[in-house]
Amino acid sequence: MTPYMITFFVMVGVFMIGCFALKWPVGVSMLAAALCGALEGMLAHGTSLMQTLTDTGRMMVEGEFGYVDTILTIACAMIFMKVIEDSGALDALSSLLIEKFHKVPAVLLILIMFIIMFPGMITGSSTAAVLSAGSIMAPVLILLGLDNVTAGSVIAMGGLLGMIAPPVNTAALVICAGIDVPYVGFTGPLLLLTFPLAILFVLMLGLPKVKNLDYEKLKPALEKQDETRKQYGFKIYIPFFVLLVLMIFFKLIAKNIGVEDVGMPVIFLVSAIVGLFTGRKINPLKAIPEAVRTATPVMAILMGVGMFIEIMTATGVRGFIVMTCLQIPEALWIVACCISIPLFGAVSSFGACSVLGVPFAYIYGTYLGGNVVVCLAAISLIAAVGDMMPPTALAGLFAAQVTGVKQYTKILKKCIIPILILLVYAGFVLVKSKTFAWSVFG
Amino acid sequence: MKKKGLISTCIILCVAIFMTVYAGISFSKKRNFVEDVVTEGSAVTRTMKLSTYNQYLANTFGDVDIYVLEGKEPGGSALILGGTHANEPAGHMAAIVMLEQFVPTKGTIYVIPDICKSGLSHNDPLEGTPQYLHFTTAEGKVRTFHFGSRASNPIDQWPDPDTYLHTSGDWKGLHLSENAYTVQTLSGSEVRNQNRCYPGIANGTLTEKVSYAVTNMINTLKIDMVIDLHESSPEYAVNNAIVAHERAMEIAGMAKALTLEEEKNIAIKVEPSPVNLRGLTHRELGDYTDAFALLCEVGNPSQGRFRGYTDEALAITGKDPCYKVASEIHNGALLYVDYSSGDFPISLRVARHVTTVAALIDEMSYEYPDKEILIDNVPDYDEMVETDNLGLWLR
Repeated sequence: MTPYMITFFVMVGVFMIGCFALKWPVGVSMLAAALCGALEGMLAHGTSLMQTLTDTGRMMVEGEFGYVDTILTIACAMIFMKVIEDSGALDALSSLLIEKFHKVPAVLLILIMFIIMFPGMITGSSTAAVLSAGSIMAPVLILLGLDNVTAGSVIAMGGLLGMIAPPVNTAALVICAGIDVPYVGFTGPLLLLTFPLAILFVLMLGLPKVKNLDYEKLKPALEKQDETRKQYGFKIYIPFFVLLVLMIFFKLIAKNIGVEDVGMPVIFLVSAIVGLFTGRKINPLKAIPEAVRTATPVMAILMGVGMFIEIMTATGVRGFIVMTCLQIPEALWIVACCISIPLFGAVSSFGACSVLGVPFAYIYGTYLGGNVVVCLAAISLIAAVGDMMPPTALAGLFAAQVTGVKQYTKILKKCIIPILILLVYAGFVLVKSKTFAWSVFG
Repeated sequence: MKKKGLISTCIILCVAIFMTVYAGISFSKKRNFVEDVVTEGSAVTRTMKLSTYNQYLANTFGDVDIYVLEGKEPGGSALILGGTHANEPAGHMAAIVMLEQFVPTKGTIYVIPDICKSGLSHNDPLEGTPQYLHFTTAEGKVRTFHFGSRASNPIDQWPDPDTYLHTSGDWKGLHLSENAYTVQTLSGSEVRNQNRCYPGIANGTLTEKVSYAVTNMINTLKIDMVIDLHESSPEYAVNNAIVAHERAMEIAGMAKALTLEEEKNIAIKVEPSPVNLRGLTHRELGDYTDAFALLCEVGNPSQGRFRGYTDEALAITGKDPCYKVASEIHNGALLYVDYSSGDFPISLRVARHVTTVAALIDEMSYEYPDKEILIDNVPDYDEMVETDNLGLWLR
């Protein structure tokens, strides 16, 4: 195991030097770490220099393909976001929601939370939730009086819970595939795990800021938004309806009538194209490159992460990490589960489900005799926290981006208490899975 | 400053182009690499195309060869599927050993060693696996085989949906249990998993087309037994086992007890095919055809999540320090195979498959004389394990 430890330290060391000493972008630092890890790991294993170079070159590119679908979704979602921002649709929707619900701020907050969660619920992706509904709700939250960091935190936690809430929970599906359990009966446990937390978190973070909401005082700040609403009327909301209708159709209905899912990138692009004609005039040649430029650092991180994981796996570092986590005493398994899965999620939350979620599902569902469905649901919730872990931190990074927070770590700090509550709750349900077996239906 | 930025941009661009071309050539070579299955001197009497059983497969990457080994006397028939999951090399290699070595004297054996050819043509991103395996034959010839991916190549079907809704298409169940789900939601990537797409859809995705052809082939030729060869990671609960459809349980149980355990001293479990887990060969081919549907699993460290350094040697020797540690902690509760020896070589894994297939066919022949298949030249289990060189069993 010692050679693996050396490779592990080489990779982590190079990443830290790149990130902090040389101030390279995170994606580039991960590329350098993967390259150095591959050379050290393979040569130390006795592989010839030629073979090492050949394999490294191939694996670096192969690893990038692990995230090609996510990268496409991000690029297209950013284009959609830019279009609805520039067209004035975001402003209009914000002022409308505040006007209608300002008398019941708690209800408004819960409604906003469910709206943020919705795209995650039907796609199984926190990125989709944050970039679509999150970006739409960000100005509403800010206008309600939440500071940018708190608004970003609400959106990030909504994204996490949305990706786990039913009907589509990709994290649970990945674990199901790993242990051959059908994805049946998950609705109840997932509702039980996510909705109470969603209501708790949005009220915990948002209510202190909005409970004394004075609409009359807010009105002058909404002047610009109201004007856009009046100017374009209902037309300005059409891109939202197109997005909603396409999502519901392709994610929930299409598969039942034999129509193929066109995928989130196309749904975002079609909605963006519609947005070009429903509000203020937009120059696509200016808006699209700007949107893609905004998303480039995150896309680079994902490519770097792909290379990093591929090399970690090939050189045995991944196995070393998994074995280290599983070697701890039985009594501490729950602690290991609640710490190692989110930490591994720093490179990929779905990767964490496959690599660590599957062994823990066996441990709790089979070895310790728990209820398999409840165990898997709880583990998937734990895994969702991985989307807040740097460097990838997809939910956190995008929540920062849509709320205009420059340092994502501020959002992470704000979310620490909700995350701890989430982990304790999920850990409790995991350990006491049999007690929650009643929730398994459908 | 501007000039400096331009130079570094050009350098980065050149490196990126070089890497893209370099990796592209490697991927292209793998995609187009053809394995040399040797039929000369073997008992293969003819080959057919899989598209014979699904017209929509013609001229696609999934239109593979079916090798037919016919005995002099008519009798029963069996279909052996290898390469369903291309990252499980013992399944693929066992099928090749059988088609090159088995000599049926009665009945017919059909072998498809690369049923998911698309999966053989690429590797899984993020898994860091080798591209090829090499074996040296008794004559000193080096033969090269694919090490591939668990799923079909995205070049053949992309993108994956968020979730894969498995359906049985237009098939009418012949032996479908009353309580079985006929549609099931699976992880999106399972849409490219050959062993989640049965009974298949004639004009569906490439993976579904292949599955459809297999189901149709079994029904058209009235094949009596189908055996799908796999490997599983040592931490997977169904391991070193035969998974049997309920109609094939007796054959599997008797083969285990009388031949594998008593005669050959091979520890093996018999697991019932779960009624509600759809898309798998042992379930769907048992439900939608009259064949006895079985699936064989054997432990393979090179596909597991705990594995250490991953290369061709690991796939062949099965020697892995991480699995050795895993076998020693928590009283071995983390693993479902005995890994105390610290290795699990491919010669042993293939030997288990070859011997299990022969035992299952023998048992069917004994229980159903009208379906009798007699085979000569079955490689000896002990000899395969002792020589520990799979190349000796390749032509």
